[in-house]
Amino acid sequence: MPLIRRGAPEAPANVKDDRDSFALLTGGTDGERWGAARAAATLPGGVEALGAALRSETDARVRTAILTSLTRVATPASVDAVLPCLRADDADTRTGALDALRAMPRAVLPRLPDLLSDADTDVRILSCEIARCLAPAEATSLLCDLLDRETDANVCAAAIDVLAEIGQAGAEPALRRCAKRFPQQPFIGFAVKVALQRVSVQADDAG
Amino acid sequence: MPADVPPVTGEEFRVLCEFLYRRTGMVFTEAKRYYVQRRVTERLQATGFTSYAHYFARLRADSGDEIEQLINAFTVNETYFYREEHQLRCLTSDLLRERIRTKPRGRPIRIWSVPCSTGEEPYSIAIWLLENWPEVDAYDIDIVGSDIDTQVLDAARAGVFGKRALMHLPPRLVNQYLEPLDGEQWRIVEDLRQSVSFSTVNLVEMAETRAHGRFDVIFCRNVLIYFDDASRRLAAENLYENLEPGGFICLGHAESMSRISPLFDVCRYADAIVYQRPMEGARG
Repeated sequence: MPLIRRGAPEAPANVKDDRDSFALLTGGTDGERWGAARAAATLPGGVEALGAALRSETDARVRTAILTSLTRVATPASVDAVLPCLRADDADTRTGALDALRAMPRAVLPRLPDLLSDADTDVRILSCEIARCLAPAEATSLLCDLLDRETDANVCAAAIDVLAEIGQAGAEPALRRCAKRFPQQPFIGFAVKVALQRVSVQADDAG
Repeated sequence: MPADVPPVTGEEFRVLCEFLYRRTGMVFTEAKRYYVQRRVTERLQATGFTSYAHYFARLRADSGDEIEQLINAFTVNETYFYREEHQLRCLTSDLLRERIRTKPRGRPIRIWSVPCSTGEEPYSIAIWLLENWPEVDAYDIDIVGSDIDTQVLDAARAGVFGKRALMHLPPRLVNQYLEPLDGEQWRIVEDLRQSVSFSTVNLVEMAETRAHGRFDVIFCRNVLIYFDDASRRLAAENLYENLEPGGFICLGHAESMSRISPLFDVCRYADAIVYQRPMEGARG
């Protein structure tokens, strides 16, 4: 039988110590930066080093590894390291940041009220998407607050879309108020109608 | 359809399909409504719910392990020989041909089945290669099966299987590669058992995955969909490291690496869609 049984080959060499790792994180080859980014999650000071590296990293693969390491740590500090990427001009960078933030829902929750009130419309839209990863009660509360004050129809549409998926029965009044505030935007009325149908499933359930 | 569960409404069907899509990437159209309803109804009966609304509320609350149970109902999480045979066809018709084109002579072909459960998949790979790959004698082939569960690994090493596990294996192959123990069970022949090695691994533990080295092809089916987003990202990067540049990973039919990580290239072959670690320098 030509198939063979072999022991596993040697594992790839690990970075020697923290200083090596942090130096490689910004000064190594693509492969070294990848390895250093993956190692940094478990090192003291790793979040700060990863945040600094994220600001300068140009290789998409290494950037992905940095973001994953930050999601492993999943602290408010790692959230703060990722947040600047939500404002990036590059769509891949914004999407990468969004995915990373959604992977650490507990850590991002305290930042969401500010994000949903951000001066930048795009940030508010992306923040609605982050809310999709929260527990339904938390998402419903945050997004209903947003619906009652938001003046941009596109932001409201993003929030309504999330509520249609995970919103609870308590979202119904805010959804109705929102539809009334945008009579010139038929798509808002349509989105609210769909969301209300979905949310009413929850209302029936509660009844 | 059981009398005590009403037919799913159009809105309920859309809600459920959206949930399944976001969670697994599986897409169900109206044509699949009966298939979807049958499986959801089974879950309603198993959990004691009498309305879809109550059941959806439980799913949305993410309580208990019901999401896992529902996904199980759609992925047929049962393992048997030659399961998803199209991927095995893809292995010999495309993936290995591609690998040996760029692989230095004398290096073994390494294939990883993870999680391997009780061994049906790695033994299937071995039998498939012996039967269907003309180059099988020209290369050293190293097949490794790994799982986090040490009990299933013990069973895999023992290589004893019942009728259900062998139902898709042609009788000729059963006779050739397994020996009967009694009327109900068969054991993988000694040579074949010795040609597959087994090990424990936790896919989110970097040190454990790294210790397995690099592979040409990884079969990682129906496990990533059960991880949360953070664990899925980590596992995907670990698996990326476990692939040779240009190596391939095969996921379950309900899974898509594109929804998990941007690290891999999508490769569409005649028999399967698989994911490839780009060659070094192939991407910016």
